[in-house]
Amino acid sequence: MINLTINGKQIEVTEGTTVLNAARQNGIKIPTLCDHPNLTPYGGCRLCMVEVKGMRVPIASCTLSAANGMVIETDTAPLKKSRNVVLALLFSERNHFCPFCQVSGGDCELQNAAYDENMTHWPMQPQWTNFPVDTSHPNFILDNNRCILCRRCIRACAEMSGNFTLGVEERGAATIVVADTNVPLGQSTCVSCGSCVQVCPTGAIIDRQSAYLGHDKNLTVTRSICHGCSLGCGILVHTRDNRIVKITGDYENENAGTLCKSGRFLPLDERRVRLTTPLKRVAGQLTATSWEDALVTLSENLTPSKGKIAALASTRLSVEALSAFKALFVDGLKSKMVTSVEEGRPTALQSAYAEQNGSSIEGKLDTLRTSDCVLLVGADLTTTHEVAGFYIKRNLPKGTRLIIVDPNENGMDALANINLKPRAGTDAAVLGALEAAVVKDGLARGAVDENIVSLHAALDICELNAEDVTDAARMLAEAVAPIIVYGKGLTAAGNPGAMDALVRLANVIGASDSERKGLLSVKGEANSLAASLLGMENQLEVRDEAVYVAVGDDYVSKRLVEKLANAPYLVVQASYESALTECADLVLPVSIWSEEAGHLLNAEGRLQFAEAVITASENVKSNLDVLNTVARELNVTLNDDWRAALTKRTSVVELESK
Amino acid sequence: MTKPKISSDWMAGCSGCHMSLLDIDERLLEIAELADIRATPITDLKEPDESGVDVGILEGGVNNSSNEEVAHRMRSRCKILVAFGDCAVFGGVPALRNMCGTQEALQRAYVDAESNDDKGFIPSDPELAVMSNVRALHEVVPVDLHVPGCPPDPDVIYYVLKELAEGRMPEIKDENLHWH
Repeated sequence: MINLTINGKQIEVTEGTTVLNAARQNGIKIPTLCDHPNLTPYGGCRLCMVEVKGMRVPIASCTLSAANGMVIETDTAPLKKSRNVVLALLFSERNHFCPFCQVSGGDCELQNAAYDENMTHWPMQPQWTNFPVDTSHPNFILDNNRCILCRRCIRACAEMSGNFTLGVEERGAATIVVADTNVPLGQSTCVSCGSCVQVCPTGAIIDRQSAYLGHDKNLTVTRSICHGCSLGCGILVHTRDNRIVKITGDYENENAGTLCKSGRFLPLDERRVRLTTPLKRVAGQLTATSWEDALVTLSENLTPSKGKIAALASTRLSVEALSAFKALFVDGLKSKMVTSVEEGRPTALQSAYAEQNGSSIEGKLDTLRTSDCVLLVGADLTTTHEVAGFYIKRNLPKGTRLIIVDPNENGMDALANINLKPRAGTDAAVLGALEAAVVKDGLARGAVDENIVSLHAALDICELNAEDVTDAARMLAEAVAPIIVYGKGLTAAGNPGAMDALVRLANVIGASDSERKGLLSVKGEANSLAASLLGMENQLEVRDEAVYVAVGDDYVSKRLVEKLANAPYLVVQASYESALTECADLVLPVSIWSEEAGHLLNAEGRLQFAEAVITASENVKSNLDVLNTVARELNVTLNDDWRAALTKRTSVVELESK
Repeated sequence: MTKPKISSDWMAGCSGCHMSLLDIDERLLEIAELADIRATPITDLKEPDESGVDVGILEGGVNNSSNEEVAHRMRSRCKILVAFGDCAVFGGVPALRNMCGTQEALQRAYVDAESNDDKGFIPSDPELAVMSNVRALHEVVPVDLHVPGCPPDPDVIYYVLKELAEGRMPEIKDENLHWH
């Protein structure tokens, strides 16, 4: 521990803490614009200057490590004067006229800093130079005229999403923030994660969706969980008048503020048509009806076929709803075919392995965040589970190696140290080849399996060259903390040999041992793992039977519509109109993710509660409500304990509840 | 004690600050009790007394030779000069034209604007004031008090006027400090 004195107050902080953070932790406010608690200190704005006893001149506290015996003053008259000058210089640099700025009036850190210093005016006028405004991006606008060059956006782009799109061009007062080699943002390598929007202290980066819809003080903030995929990133949902104004990353959650476009922007860009009333098919036409009538119709059509109902639910539904769904159809109605819309493609293979094994085999996202060598198999983390991709990308400049095994083009191909493009469907052989290569080089860290394949045979199957595979094997075996991340590309085919090969490789390269589990599958949608634990991962086969689909607010795949279009009786529980609701006989309108509360179990087995943030319209019920109502109507008693239901199978990853 | 004399005028602004001043409503009577309100754009007397006033209040930035004259006249005739509103304090909305230059702004407004017919031209009557970059008041004459806001809040205006009328210098800070 380090002991220092700030403004006469004795303070104890851990070693490595900056003076600015030491002050923050102890409720002492030092003004700053460029520093952000979640980004590397930069020391650019010079607003956080403090006086350190024994030092000749004031020094920036954001880049100064606290040291034993330091005596610091943060509020002396010369410091206040210096802050005034710094702020005046910042204001006079560009167009910082507040009346026509979106963040003015509470949301601008520059303006707030000036208020804190009681500045009534600035003594120097700007140079009236025009800086570029980039409006080419669909989600935000970059206005260099409002920029104070704090470089938070640049650091966020690099350190949060690992994308390195933003940088600066020119020098001194002419410096501007640019994308890539100064191309329009909309045509740049930007992945629209919006981290830059979230950290910008001024009105230089403006979110198109939330601009002018209210200052933070007008908005209600609810802590929730992103439903975009199985990673379960923490989000803050900002609402006003029962409407979501914006979504930002939750710094307190594991994702530490980082989101991808599916978490931040896409939920507000919903173009589908909302269902607001139950619909039933009358003379071939879907016709609006009441809930009472819809339920009567439902029981008339489903009761006779008891035991002959196929039922499938979206993995975006809450654990509560999924569990009730299973209780209703499996336990209550004795259906043989109860599954999820994912049909277990992202989860069934590894779950079966874990069950057979009797214990979990996968590790946590933190293992990924701290890994120095990532083997990515059958997962394109630029199209789904993007934040997991960010966790990898942000570490690449620090020396983390990336090896990709993917027969298809992968969005991260260009970033990989080694790209292995095997013949489609031969993933197991690639993993076997890597294992054999590790063993051949004498680099095996764990026990060598007796079933090990020959390197040559494996290479012949996957059609890869020996040099690449040997290099990759060495890279993996020599890493300190390797991890294998895999996805649907590996598991969807349902080849159990692939799972064996994966686990054996993890052992032989030392990714997994008695202490560490360096295996992680990204799985599917928000509650993919929960659906798997509830046993809802069979392949859907529809015979001549009624079908009940709880699709919620999920998108419906063409494949699914084709499979279900000819069902003799089709009930769809959905939030939006879709090709599926069009061929339904009965449609029950339900709330969307933001309108209902419930738990989500993420890819690493972390159970999180997502609060309802807005209220659905009157005729729309929550997914759980509908299932309970349907159960009552069909005389099924739901004795459902969803927490217990989750523990009936061995989980592929250790569960933790929060 | 004689009542302090207060005078005001406007330059390159939108008159919104004076509207906000009228928004102090019945408190205007209280100010009129405490102070002698002299020439303002909304009273009959149009120029501050040659014998001088105690407080001069100017709204708007300085964007031409006429504004300069107003600014210098007020400065020379008052003891305390108040820059009233964002335009006087910073240049405000009119100062946006400095970003493109006066000529381009005139061209856009008088010739190129969608609402103009093809006979549009930039006025060039020699009797017109000569245009310049828009400047904050303090760039032209020394200012004693800056009251920012676009417009300043009526409560802030009331506070400022009351303090000045009672012979004190207002302190613009905390709740009273808003730049817009």
